[in-house]
Amino acid sequence: MEKSRRDFLKITGGVAAGFVLAGCRQEQEKVVEERKAHIPKSPVRIAGVSFLTGVAASPFGIPGDNTFRMLVDIINQQGGILGRKIEFLSKDEAGGVDTQVKLARKLILDDRVDVILGYISSGDCEAVLPLSDELGGLIVAYDCGTHKLMEGSSSPYSFPKYKLGFRSAAHLSIDNIGLALMIKKHFPNIKAIAGINPDYAWGRDSWAVFEAAIKKLMPNIEVVGTWWPPLFTTDYTAHISALIGAEPDIVHTSFWGGDAVTFTKQALGLGLFSKMRVAYSRGEPIPQEIGRDFPEGQIIGCAGPHYFLYPPPDKWPLNKWFVEEYSKRYGKYPTYPCYHAYQALYSYKAAVEKAGSIVGGWPTVEEVAKMMSGLSIQTPSGHLSIMENHDGVEDVVVGITKLTPKYPFPILDPIEVFPAHMVNPPVGIRTIDWINSWEV
Amino acid sequence: MQWFIYVLNGLYFTAFIFLISLGLNIILGVMGILNLAHGSLYAIGAFMAAWVIITLSGLKGVPVPLLYISLISGALLAGFVGLIIERVLIRPMYGRALEYQLLITFGALLLFEDLIKLVWGGEAYYASQPFDILGKIQILGNAYPLYFLLVILVTLIVGSAVWVFITKTKMGIMLRALSLDREMATALGLEIDKLSTIAFVLGAALAGLAGSLIAPTTPVLLGFGMEPLILAFIVVVIGGLGSLKGAFIGSVIVGQIRSIGIVVFPEIELAILFLIAAVILVVKPEGLFGR
Repeated sequence: MEKSRRDFLKITGGVAAGFVLAGCRQEQEKVVEERKAHIPKSPVRIAGVSFLTGVAASPFGIPGDNTFRMLVDIINQQGGILGRKIEFLSKDEAGGVDTQVKLARKLILDDRVDVILGYISSGDCEAVLPLSDELGGLIVAYDCGTHKLMEGSSSPYSFPKYKLGFRSAAHLSIDNIGLALMIKKHFPNIKAIAGINPDYAWGRDSWAVFEAAIKKLMPNIEVVGTWWPPLFTTDYTAHISALIGAEPDIVHTSFWGGDAVTFTKQALGLGLFSKMRVAYSRGEPIPQEIGRDFPEGQIIGCAGPHYFLYPPPDKWPLNKWFVEEYSKRYGKYPTYPCYHAYQALYSYKAAVEKAGSIVGGWPTVEEVAKMMSGLSIQTPSGHLSIMENHDGVEDVVVGITKLTPKYPFPILDPIEVFPAHMVNPPVGIRTIDWINSWEV
Repeated sequence: MQWFIYVLNGLYFTAFIFLISLGLNIILGVMGILNLAHGSLYAIGAFMAAWVIITLSGLKGVPVPLLYISLISGALLAGFVGLIIERVLIRPMYGRALEYQLLITFGALLLFEDLIKLVWGGEAYYASQPFDILGKIQILGNAYPLYFLLVILVTLIVGSAVWVFITKTKMGIMLRALSLDREMATALGLEIDKLSTIAFVLGAALAGLAGSLIAPTTPVLLGFGMEPLILAFIVVVIGGLGSLKGAFIGSVIVGQIRSIGIVVFPEIELAILFLIAAVILVVKPEGLFGR
């Protein structure tokens, strides 16, 4: 069969293109091989520091640690990070600030971990994060809530506060502003509020942000009382009776763990919920902890868009996968610390992979840190952004509790999602200054 | 009628703190030992009761009354631990300076914190079934948890029984004699070691019972014994060292002032108790009913 000129050109052109492509592939393979040559064979060492003992273990630390373990298994099954398997070092956050500072020093200097993902206590975060720059180790705070962690003493403040210190979640402002927005939207006619918060920085800061926000949003609202029981109080009866006597429409609280359970159970016994609503900052785990006894109609913040039913699993497969995987392993629905753990681990993974693709090998901590600043990733909760001040920014979900036959605890229905720009201060501006600048 | 509930809240707190300070005061009065590990005995009682309740609740066909009877388990274990503490740690300290007793009981407090962690782990224990089952009743238009009334009732019964034991029985009279004059009691041939053991075990069991009774109302966790230990010291300072009447009146004062103080002066709820204790220390250092 005779070949036409056109056929000849096709064949020679194809051969030439093949040679070019083959050349490119060879070049690519060469780069990949070179990169691989720069990636250590040893596993990447990741320390996870959460409360494994004590009062914060059951509601926060153990769910967080469980999530780290589960995800490490999954990432390792998928080949690890840039081909390196993860060696996970699970550490207890108990013991107080001094213990945690010593532990962080040991992890960075002796154990040579590549990153510490840790800390539920704000006090621990504030004590440990300065070590990141001092010792040259990457530290990602994954759950602590203080809004002061990355902020300066006045606005505008310079950032980042720490070159190698990050937080992969939003701070307490999102819940407390979210609660205020929710109250304005769903209960616009209320006249009086009160607060009962634990008497330490967490409780004081949570109330300060909530009070500032609600007074801006509803200027005519009256604060009829604030109560500050010590942490781990076992008898709230006097406080609850005082609240009932003060007759607020809504009570704000940032109780957590056992304190939230004790307060809620005793408040049920004293009939508080038939007279007023309670708005729980970061209250998302509490209904699941208490079960069907948890009262309906209460306002719950989720510490971000972190809820097992939001984003709707049928619309956001990553949440569906995460909820199913966690429930299968641990027999419970994931709570917000689980989502926070995901965010920390996958932020680090994404930053390493991004830096690795640029530098052509395993990146240094400084290179990973550069990639983490401004990073945006998809998570089971939607999207997480880590801003230039090294703090996470998220939307927040706030809902109202409702009993359904399907679940053994009240779910949040309805829920409202307040977008990140409504609940997170702009980078460089302190939270309280930002709220005070609102023109409503 | 909200004030009636405030008083009732005060009585509930009185009941809880009375059992702890009564135990502390018996040990202090009879043996002259300030037991810093008393809070640990309270915590041991709470952990034991919570563990038993959770275990029983997990079994099928367990009758409900058994859950309430099981609350005694905390008192029994705390009493047994008290026996060991007295025999092993306290007995060698008799006749030594107060500093040695304080050091040894403080050491025991630290030791028990770790032992509790070793035995029951670091997680909080939620054993609210006895509280939940009883529910609430209406008193003068206000809801009130029935379990709190049960705690007040049990404390009244136990407090009365201890009073009868101390004032009416031969053993109680010997304990009082020992508390009044240890040397004279020895000279009269009283079995000092046996009496000391009884006093310590009784005090420990009362602390354990307080822990047991509180367990269904709040999660039990590590460090559980510190708050009640401090409150018991305030009661002892106000009521008087080694006085049963002082423990009762001191508890009533602490309970009611805390309850009313939280309503009227919420910002200084903790400080108010310390202020009263400070005033008593200045005006009547031996306490209201101390010797």
